[in-house]
Amino acid sequence: MKKILFFITFGLIVLLLAGTLAGCTATPQDGSSKQKSEGEASSQEETSNTAGNSEDKGVVNLYTNRHYDTDQQIFDMFTEETGIKVNVVKGDSDELIERLAREGKDTQADLLITADAARLHRAKVKGLLQPVESDVLFKNIPENLRDIDNQWFGLTVRGRVIVYAKDRVSPSELSTYEDLTNPKWKGKILVRSSSNVYNQSLLASFIAINGREQAKQWARGIVENMAREPKGNDRAQAIAVAAGVGDIAIMNTYYIGKMLNSSNPEEVKAAKSVGVFFPNQDTTGTHINVSGIGLTKYAKNKENAIKLMEFLASEKAQKLFAEANFEYPANPSVEPSELLKSWGDFKPQDIQLSKLGEYNDEAVKIFNEVGWK
Amino acid sequence: MFKTSRLKATYLNTWALLSLIFVLLILAPNVNILINALKPGNENWYHIKEYLLKDYIINSLTLVAFTGLFTVLLGTTLAWLVSVFEFPFRKFFKWGLILPLAIPPYIAAYTYDGLLNYTGVIQTFLRNSLKISVNQKYFNIMSMEGAVFIFTAFLYPYVYIITKSFLEKQSASLIENSRMLGRSPLEIFFYVILPLSRTAILGGVSLVILEVLNDYGVVKYFGIVTFSTAIFKTWFALGDIDSAVKLAAILMFMVFAVLLMENLLRGRKKFSYTTSKVRPITPLKLQGMKAAGAFVYCFTVFSLSFLIPTLQLVYWAFLAYQKVLHVKFWVLIINSLSAALVSSVLVIAIAVVIANYCRLNDGLISKIYSKITTLGYSIPGSVIAMGVIVFFVGLDRRLVWLYHMISENSSKLVLSTSMAMLTFAYIIRFLAIGYNAIEAGFARIGRKFLEASRTLGMNVTQTFFKVELKMLQPAIISGLVLVFIDILKELPLTLILRPFNFDTLATKSFEYAGDEMIHEAAISSLIIIIISAVSVYFFYKIGDREES
Amino acid sequence: MYVEIKNLNFKYKASRETTVVDFSLDMEKGETVSIVGESGSGKSTVLRLIAGLEIPLSGVIKVNNKVMVDDSTFIAPEKRDIGMVFQDYALFPHMTVAQNITFGLKRLTNKEKKERLAEVLELVSLEKFKDRYPYELSGGQQQRVALARALAPKPSLLLLDEPFSNLDADLQKKIREQLKHILKCTGITSILVTHDKEDALSIADSVVVLKEGRIVRAGSPAQVLA
Repeated sequence: MKKILFFITFGLIVLLLAGTLAGCTATPQDGSSKQKSEGEASSQEETSNTAGNSEDKGVVNLYTNRHYDTDQQIFDMFTEETGIKVNVVKGDSDELIERLAREGKDTQADLLITADAARLHRAKVKGLLQPVESDVLFKNIPENLRDIDNQWFGLTVRGRVIVYAKDRVSPSELSTYEDLTNPKWKGKILVRSSSNVYNQSLLASFIAINGREQAKQWARGIVENMAREPKGNDRAQAIAVAAGVGDIAIMNTYYIGKMLNSSNPEEVKAAKSVGVFFPNQDTTGTHINVSGIGLTKYAKNKENAIKLMEFLASEKAQKLFAEANFEYPANPSVEPSELLKSWGDFKPQDIQLSKLGEYNDEAVKIFNEVGWK
Repeated sequence: MFKTSRLKATYLNTWALLSLIFVLLILAPNVNILINALKPGNENWYHIKEYLLKDYIINSLTLVAFTGLFTVLLGTTLAWLVSVFEFPFRKFFKWGLILPLAIPPYIAAYTYDGLLNYTGVIQTFLRNSLKISVNQKYFNIMSMEGAVFIFTAFLYPYVYIITKSFLEKQSASLIENSRMLGRSPLEIFFYVILPLSRTAILGGVSLVILEVLNDYGVVKYFGIVTFSTAIFKTWFALGDIDSAVKLAAILMFMVFAVLLMENLLRGRKKFSYTTSKVRPITPLKLQGMKAAGAFVYCFTVFSLSFLIPTLQLVYWAFLAYQKVLHVKFWVLIINSLSAALVSSVLVIAIAVVIANYCRLNDGLISKIYSKITTLGYSIPGSVIAMGVIVFFVGLDRRLVWLYHMISENSSKLVLSTSMAMLTFAYIIRFLAIGYNAIEAGFARIGRKFLEASRTLGMNVTQTFFKVELKMLQPAIISGLVLVFIDILKELPLTLILRPFNFDTLATKSFEYAGDEMIHEAAISSLIIIIISAVSVYFFYKIGDREES
Repeated sequence: MYVEIKNLNFKYKASRETTVVDFSLDMEKGETVSIVGESGSGKSTVLRLIAGLEIPLSGVIKVNNKVMVDDSTFIAPEKRDIGMVFQDYALFPHMTVAQNITFGLKRLTNKEKKERLAEVLELVSLEKFKDRYPYELSGGQQQRVALARALAPKPSLLLLDEPFSNLDADLQKKIREQLKHILKCTGITSILVTHDKEDALSIADSVVVLKEGRIVRAGSPAQVLA
């Protein structure tokens, strides 16, 4: 009995090893086929195994840090329409950028999607992206939501707003980000850690608009008014407002959307107990950021890649792509979802989003200096 | 005229050669990191030193100290209870208490926060049914204490497993002797068991420490800035991988300093008590209150570290299952299983080769080799990943001619876009765990069977396959299970090194959790837990049959 | 001379003192020599050197005109054709008595193995126990299995390390007789290490007394141990 067990296990392992190795040598054209040979040997559809092969028009390879389930639906739509298969590696944006850099000119990735303009800017500065001249993209994506040199294009937009407890704070008491440093908010403000990129981009935008000194003062003022040390994600800040730990949270719009659609009724209740306020409407505008896409410098499937970029900027993909995450579509001719519309229009910061990347280092250092954990 | 060199040449050709190859392979991707660490610091580096380093080191040390202490307390007392005493459900606890290893700490962190926070089950119940509003302070797990709790509850099995197997196999006669000498069980625990299991306990707790130092998920969510926060902040936020690597090197240095200090403190007390008479210990039957006490203790630990979080996940899975029905879970399962199985077998095979070589050569080389095996476990996963990418891309560039020979229009990156790269990274990362288990196994066997066999005409290799492999089986199995489970829940490496379209259970739950959709993450987390639980049980049963 | 050992020197890596100093010994074929000494005198180390389990700093060991070790040669233990009975027997716990005994018979056919197994089992009177596992045997029986295992491959030299130390006094005497009988029957050349003069007196043809790694006396048992 034991022996049989041993042989079964052993046989299985040999088989798997053989599979892995065969995948490495027999079909050296791409990565996906190897994985298939191992993971989905009996898998449904026949996959073209020529990722990275420029002669074949069949694929486009994508590194992305968006991982919503609807993304796959959109890629499937694209495949259906064009016959081009989309291969995906999902990961954290910083690590994907690093991987791209290390792979250099041999990389198989054609496109990079990250959920933050500063990261796209970093990829650009590192020389990992290339400009794209596409009238479709120029038409669909407004100028401030794309790179000056057209090395990346925003796809979805979100605001970083003030969320307040409806029962304790009246919207009339709220005005600007700057006002949050007012001592009247002492012990009332909730915000997550400075290692989070959304906060970094927020502060970077202040540096771009108001200069380093004022931005630093703002960060210091927020630290003094914090209800607790920064912890948890954006969603946790909203819950803490509902729970009364503080009165005000700084967070991205879409998390309220997610909470309102939560499968936990208590979270829906919590989300309903807080209000969304777009700050700086009379001054510099609410801070916005984008998820965006760029063509890699050494893309092997450039035509296909541009096709996918254009597809993602198109009206039919934009709606799904933005709604997956309760974000605003970057394409102005596409309407935002009902929920977002219910919060009303708002005036965004009027800066080139590349600035968020340029001042990112600066922002991180300021956070460290003022002790924003 | 020392002839030790001749000894190696004649004794251990294959083992020495293989060990050398493996060690070099492990070292290669890390050389890059080590060299970077020696470069002079840039401007970012001074910024880090001024603002981050002190606090972060203090926080890391606090975490490590308390987690280390509590895991030792929990791990040894539990191991002692289940192996020396008989009480209700002891058989179940024996393996049930390993199960917390199946839950990745970061998932546990999310789960406990979700359980305790304002919208969690407990507060909701208090608020809606009993109309009690509680002070949030008392329900906040996102603190240093909370992190220590999470790490202790979900990492203590490392100490527990090693200590338990040591006690079961080794201590029967000593414990019985101590009983005869009129010592109470508690005295035996403190004066005999603790000192005797010192090596085993330290082996376990050093895994815990390394895991804590490398954790990023829990501390990030709880807002505790630690050394690994500093590394990632430097890398991601400042985009300065050189300084990040420098920090990683400091971390590595700290870890090695700790291990070395331990080695020196132990000094000549390097006994490994071994007896050929592997005799299972006859448990002492506890009665009445004592039996109840033992049960309550085990059950409390089991509940906090497995039952409660699992039930919470089940509840969430129930809430959210409709949203994730479209996910092809079976593909994820097959991917996870095959990656973990192949890699864990390779890890153990390599661990066996190096461990066998090292125990037969007490020289400096063996010491260096065994330290190198722990290298991968002491560097943050993402940093290893970068080293591995550089290594494989370089390898691919050298092999392009070969690829073109096989296929005209082959891409230039073959290995680095295949499972080979990920598997290789797993090996580097988890060799420490496999090695620990195998080394302990060899220590238990000792050398006399080898010597006996050699005087009967078998060489080292023949002896290994005919005699020692069989005796090593429990160690191999426990090593396999540990590595298997670890790979199953591994994240940073899988995330960054995977081939196109390769999703696993762990990456799926991370994607949901990362998008702050913990309910949706519940199902894949649960599948990880179930697979781990089944493998723990399965291997435990085999081990059990082996003994009888 | 059948066994020639010249000027063997040895030091353990960790220890400061030399464990074996200038050890020399000559033996005729079929002879049984006993090395006697207190614990720590280096007598077991001498056996380990002869077996090839340790490597001498210097010195020569020849058995049957074959050089086992000298300045330029070192034969691995598995190639020496020297059998050894260990102090704690080192029986493989996961193998039956028969499996333990046939372990060293790798070059024989299955039939030959069976025959040889039967022979040695008979020699040590354990025919009935061949399918038992070591832990199912008494101490004396285990000791005889260890002996049978060492004898089975017909080694050119048999080494016995304190073969009686794990047995109680009554048993010691009985086994000692049995061992003497077996050694004589097989006509094997053997070296027996013991701290007990009685053992040496009753079994050995000649005796070497070791103290702090050096030979202090040598000769016939009666002379040396009187």
